[in-house]
Amino acid sequence: MSKETFSQISPSEFFYRNRDLAGFSNPTRSLYTSVREFVENALDACDQKKVLPDIHLSIKAVDPEQSDPKHYVLTVKDNGPGIEPKHVPHAFGTVLYGSKFGLKQARGMFGLGATMAILYGQITTNKPVTVKSCADEKVIDEFVMLLDIQKNKPVILKHTTKDASKTGLSVSIVLEGDYSKAGSKIRDYVSQTSLITPYASMTFEDPTGEKFHYPRIVKEMPPPPTIIKPHPHGVDVETIRRMIVDTHYQIPAVDNKMIEKIKKELGLQKKSLTTKDMLERAQKRWADLSRPVRTIIALMSFLNVDFDGLQKIRIDDIDVANKKITYWDFGESQSHAIEIDSESSYYKQLANTIQGDTLLTFLTKRFQRVGPTTAEKFCEFAKLKPERRIGSMTNEELVRLADALQKFDDFLAPDPSCLAPLGEEPLSKGIMKFFNPEFASVMQRNASAYSGFPFVVEMGIAYGGGIPATGLKVYRFANRIPLLYDEGSDVVLKIVNEMDWSRYKVKGDPPLVIVSHICSTRIPYKTVGKENVADRPELERELKNALQYLARKLAVHMSRQGAADMEKKRANLYAKYVPLISQFSTELSGKKKEPNYKQLIKMGSEIEEQI
Amino acid sequence: MKNKSNQRTAEAKKEKLLSLLQKHGLNIYDNLDQGKFPQFIIPSRSVNNIVYDKKLRQYILGNASAVRSSRNMSQLRSYTQLAWLAFFVNRLVREGKSSTLRDIYYSSQAFSIDFEDQPESDNIIVDLEAVTLSPREEFHIFPEERSSVFGDLTIEYTVPGYEGKRMNLSDHPDGYLIGPSLSSAELVDTSAELVIAIEKGGLFTRFVEEKVHKKFKSIIVDTAGQAPRSTRNLLRRLNQELGLPVVILADGDVYGEHIAMVIKSGSANAAHLRELTVPDAKWLGVWATDIEKYKLPTIPMTESDIKRIYDLQKDPRYQEGNWKKQLEVFLKLKRKAELEAFSKYGLTNITDKYLPAKLEESKSF
Repeated sequence: MSKETFSQISPSEFFYRNRDLAGFSNPTRSLYTSVREFVENALDACDQKKVLPDIHLSIKAVDPEQSDPKHYVLTVKDNGPGIEPKHVPHAFGTVLYGSKFGLKQARGMFGLGATMAILYGQITTNKPVTVKSCADEKVIDEFVMLLDIQKNKPVILKHTTKDASKTGLSVSIVLEGDYSKAGSKIRDYVSQTSLITPYASMTFEDPTGEKFHYPRIVKEMPPPPTIIKPHPHGVDVETIRRMIVDTHYQIPAVDNKMIEKIKKELGLQKKSLTTKDMLERAQKRWADLSRPVRTIIALMSFLNVDFDGLQKIRIDDIDVANKKITYWDFGESQSHAIEIDSESSYYKQLANTIQGDTLLTFLTKRFQRVGPTTAEKFCEFAKLKPERRIGSMTNEELVRLADALQKFDDFLAPDPSCLAPLGEEPLSKGIMKFFNPEFASVMQRNASAYSGFPFVVEMGIAYGGGIPATGLKVYRFANRIPLLYDEGSDVVLKIVNEMDWSRYKVKGDPPLVIVSHICSTRIPYKTVGKENVADRPELERELKNALQYLARKLAVHMSRQGAADMEKKRANLYAKYVPLISQFSTELSGKKKEPNYKQLIKMGSEIEEQI
Repeated sequence: MKNKSNQRTAEAKKEKLLSLLQKHGLNIYDNLDQGKFPQFIIPSRSVNNIVYDKKLRQYILGNASAVRSSRNMSQLRSYTQLAWLAFFVNRLVREGKSSTLRDIYYSSQAFSIDFEDQPESDNIIVDLEAVTLSPREEFHIFPEERSSVFGDLTIEYTVPGYEGKRMNLSDHPDGYLIGPSLSSAELVDTSAELVIAIEKGGLFTRFVEEKVHKKFKSIIVDTAGQAPRSTRNLLRRLNQELGLPVVILADGDVYGEHIAMVIKSGSANAAHLRELTVPDAKWLGVWATDIEKYKLPTIPMTESDIKRIYDLQKDPRYQEGNWKKQLEVFLKLKRKAELEAFSKYGLTNITDKYLPAKLEESKSF
C-alpha cells in the first residue's frame, strides 16, 4: 500500500490549479477577463469614494509583428482614491485579500479577480506586475512585484516614489492573450460598460492604436450602497444558529488564565479567600464583572465548589429552562446532574447571561427593518414567546423559527440601501444616448430578496430609431457589469424568450433592445466566471414583472404607431379605389360625367376602424 | 316557331341583365355623388345558408345575405373588384364578346384591379352571379372547355357572325367542344332518342368508335369528370327542349355516384343558380352492386374515399332509395372499380353487354 501524503495548499496555488474556473481558460478568455477585473476594480474604487470615474484602458502588443496568441501589456488607470502604500503589496500580491467583504453591492467580491489576472500574467510571461498608487495627493508609489504562489506572498522587486498631485491607481501587467479573437468582446465590454455607467468617462486604446472614447452622459452619481443587517427572509437555520452564538454566551473553560482573570476582577491578586467570602465579594461588585466571570461565580455557587473543585469537572450543559446543570466528574468518570435553586439570586443572573437576548430583542437588534410591533406579531405567528431567551431554544424551535422567518409575510421589504441600482433617470439617459431609439421606457422594481440576499431589478426597453431591425437583442448587466458570454443559459434570456411578444404587437425581427440590470449583494452566478445568472424563482418573478410592465408600455406605443400607420393606409386605399369605382359606375350607369367623389376619399381616410 | 320563342327568351334575358347592371351602376353613381359609401348586397353562400329544396329537387340559397360595403376598409378592395366585374360584364354582353374565367383574371390587370390569383377572381364572378341571380354564361364568361358532345344533333348558332349557320354534331368523330358558341346555339333537330353522359374521355372515344350513337340512337356527352355548368345546362336543354331522357355512366366509386347526382340535382356551389339540373336523369352505373354482379376487378378505397362516403351520407339527397343503398354497399366493399374494368372481358364488353343490360334495367327505375 502506498503511503499517502497530506499537505495544505495555499489559496494562490489553489487558484493557479483551478484557473479555468475563474475565467482564465485560454488566451482569448484570459485577456477579456483580465480587462474586466481591472476595470471593475477601478470603477468600484471610484464608486466607494463618490468620485466620478475616469478610466483609461490600454492594451499594447509587446511585439506587434508576432501572431496571436502573444504577449500584451494591459494597463488600467483610474482617478479613484488610490491605495495606501503599505497595503499595495498585499492587495496585489496575495490571493483572497481585499476590502470588499461586507454585505453590500460591489462589482467584484473579495478582490479575487485582479490577483488572478496578475497570477495568470506571471504564469504565462514570467513578468512582474507594476502598480502605481497615490492615496494622499502628494506621493505616488510605484511597486514592481511578483507573486510567490506557494507561500501566497508578494515579492517586491522594486519600490520607488515620486511627487504627485492627484489620487489614483494604475495597474499594468504583461500577459499572454489573443486580441484578434478577444477584441470584439472587449470592445463590446467597454461600450456596454459605458451604457450602464453613464456617469463614467472611459477611454480604450487598442493594440492597433485605435482609440474608443465614451464621454460622461450624466454628472450625478447614483447613491452609494451602505452595509446592512440581514433580512429575515434571507436567513436559514444555520445562519440563525451562528447569529445566536454571537449573542449568547459559551460556557467558559476554567483554566489558570481564567482563574487569574477572576482574581483580578475581584481584586484578589494578593490574598486568597474562602469560596463563601469570594461569592460575597462578587455579589457586591457584580455590575463590574465580565460575563465569563459572572457565569463561573454563579456555577461555583450552585455546585458549591472552589477553583480546584471546578477544575476537576467539566460543565456539559446549563439547562436554565429545566433548572439543571449537567457536569462530568473526571475523578469519578461519571456524569452528574444537579438542580438549580430558582430562588437563588444567581439564578436570574445565570439565566440572563447564559441564554442571551429575548427573542423580541434578537429580532429587533439583529435584523434589518424589524420593529417591536412587527417582532411581536411575528412571535404570535411563529407560536414562540417574545420573552423567550434565544439561547434556551431547542433545535426544533430553531427550525420552527427559521421556517417562520421565511413564511411570515408582514416583514418590510429588504432594505435596498445596501444596493446601488443605477436609477431610472440615468438608465434612461444612457439608453437614449446609446441607441437613439424612437421609443424607450425604463423601470426599477422594488427590492426583493432570494435566500437572504436583497436584489433590485432594473430594466429598460428601446424600440426603433437607430436600432437595426435584426430582431430582439438583450443587454445583460449585473452589478453594473456587462455579461457577454454564456448568454444562452442566462435567466434573463429565459424570461425574454418565454414572452409571447405577439401579444405586445411586436412581430418579425423587431428593432428591439432590452437592457436588464440585476443589482444584489450576491448575484446568483452559475459559474465562477460570472457570466450567466441562475434562475432563482424570486429573481425570475421580478424580471418577469419588469419585462411585462415595459412590454405593455411598448404595446401602447406600438398601437399609437399602428393607428397612425393605419390612417395613412386608409387614406392611400381610398385614394386608389374610389376613383376606380367612380369610373366603372359612370360607364355602367350610362352617364357622361363622373360623380363628385372627392369628399368620399376624405371621409374614407377619417373613418374610425370598427373592430 | 319554337326557335323564335327561344331566341326571344335569350334576348329578353340579355335585356333584363343589362338593365339590372345599369340599375346597380346608377345606384353606385348616386351614392358617390351624394358622398355616401356604396354597397352590394350579396346572398350569403355560406354553408348555413344553403338548403335543399325538395320541390325544386336541388340546392338553393336561404334568405341570409351579406353586405359588401366600400365603407369597410377590409372590403373596399373586393367591393371595387365586384364593381369592375359588373362594368366589364356590361361591355362583354353589350358588345356580344365572350371571355373565360382565366381571361377575366388577366383582363383585370388592365384596369389596376389586382386579383391575387385566379381563385380570387373566380370567386368575384360567383359573387356577381349571386347579386344578379344569373349564371356566368349569361355574362359571356365560360370555363376553359374540356367537355364535348357527339351525335346526330343539328344546331343553329346565335353568336355574332354565325347567326343562322347550322351544323350537325355527328360530322366530327372527336366530338364538339361544349363552348360558348355551342352553349348559346339553338337546338334545331335530332333523330336521337337518348342522351348518354359518360365520365371519361377515353370511353367517349370508344363509344363513338363502337357507334353507340347509332346502335342506341343516342347523343353521347363526355363530362370529363364532374360536369361543368355549360355541360349540365346542355344536358338540361336536351332533356327539356328536345324531350330526350338522360342516362349517366360513371366510375364505380363514390365520386362517380356523385357526378351522376350533380347532373341530376345540382351542386351546393351553384345553389344560387337554377336551370343547371336534370331532375329526371338516371344513373346507370357503375353501381356498387354491379361490382359484385359483373365480377369486376377492383382496387381498394383510400381513406379519403371512405371519408367522402360518410360526408355524402349526411346529404339529404342520399337518404333513400338506390342512392342510399349504393353508398352502403360501397362502404361495405371498401373497394372500387373503374369504367375500364370491363376491358377484362374484352374491349367491347361495356358497349355490347353492360350498356344494353343496364338500359333494360333502367326502364324499371
